[in-house]
Amino acid sequence: MVIEFSVSLDHHAGLPVVRVAGEIDVYTCPKLHKVLSELSGDVGPSVVLDLTNVHYIDSTGLGTIAHSARNLSKLNRQMNVVTNRPQVRKIFEISGLTAKNIRLFEEEAQACVE
Amino acid sequence: MTTQPKVTVEVPAESEFVAVVRLAVSGVASRMGFTLEDIEDIKVAVSEACTNVVQHAYPVGQRGMVRVESIMYDDALEIVVSDSGAGFDTSHIVSAKNHSDQSDQGVFGLGLGLTFIRSLMDSSEVESNCGSGTIVRMQKKVPIQEG
Repeated sequence: MVIEFSVSLDHHAGLPVVRVAGEIDVYTCPKLHKVLSELSGDVGPSVVLDLTNVHYIDSTGLGTIAHSARNLSKLNRQMNVVTNRPQVRKIFEISGLTAKNIRLFEEEAQACVE
Repeated sequence: MTTQPKVTVEVPAESEFVAVVRLAVSGVASRMGFTLEDIEDIKVAVSEACTNVVQHAYPVGQRGMVRVESIMYDDALEIVVSDSGAGFDTSHIVSAKNHSDQSDQGVFGLGLGLTFIRSLMDSSEVESNCGSGTIVRMQKKVPIQEG
């Protein structure tokens, strides 16, 4: 079954940047979970989650992101999510995840500064 | 009485097939007068219902199916997601407000599938009984065309 999804770990301005592309759903979110769960050794005030090339996300993806963000908040770290798609932003807002330590940015440059 | 056109897909209740359902349903929706945003909402809503089937309907190791019917009315699309799995007590549907602070949220999901369906679709109903499967119906009205 060929489903469009990729996830990779990059670094920018000293911060870990998790880049995701394609669709995040019940089938692909375990792969995202794996990459996010391997970040605990990284040092830095925040993790950047680049969803610029994600065109589909639902509550399964949000659950994975929320789980990771909860672990980050125990270390007083932020999760900075990058998306310029209104639909993706809408899904975050319906879930109520825009509070707590998850912040949405439209561009990676902004997400890496704060 | 004329019968409404209906597209039915039935797929194994396994996670890799939810995307197949999304494709089929968005194909139907794109033939009606929905906006792109409507179609994105419909894709998430139907995926949430299918994900619930994948995660809850059948015991581990038992293969089950999920049936998704897309019924094309003149002014609305109705999607019916049904399974013949375990069912559940619908009085236990937790609202987003009192769920969001629970510490037992799963890694893969927030337990908010039905909340998403209610937020994204115009109307929805859930019918379930323990031991006899679940039916989730959801409806979205086609926007009124101007001119």
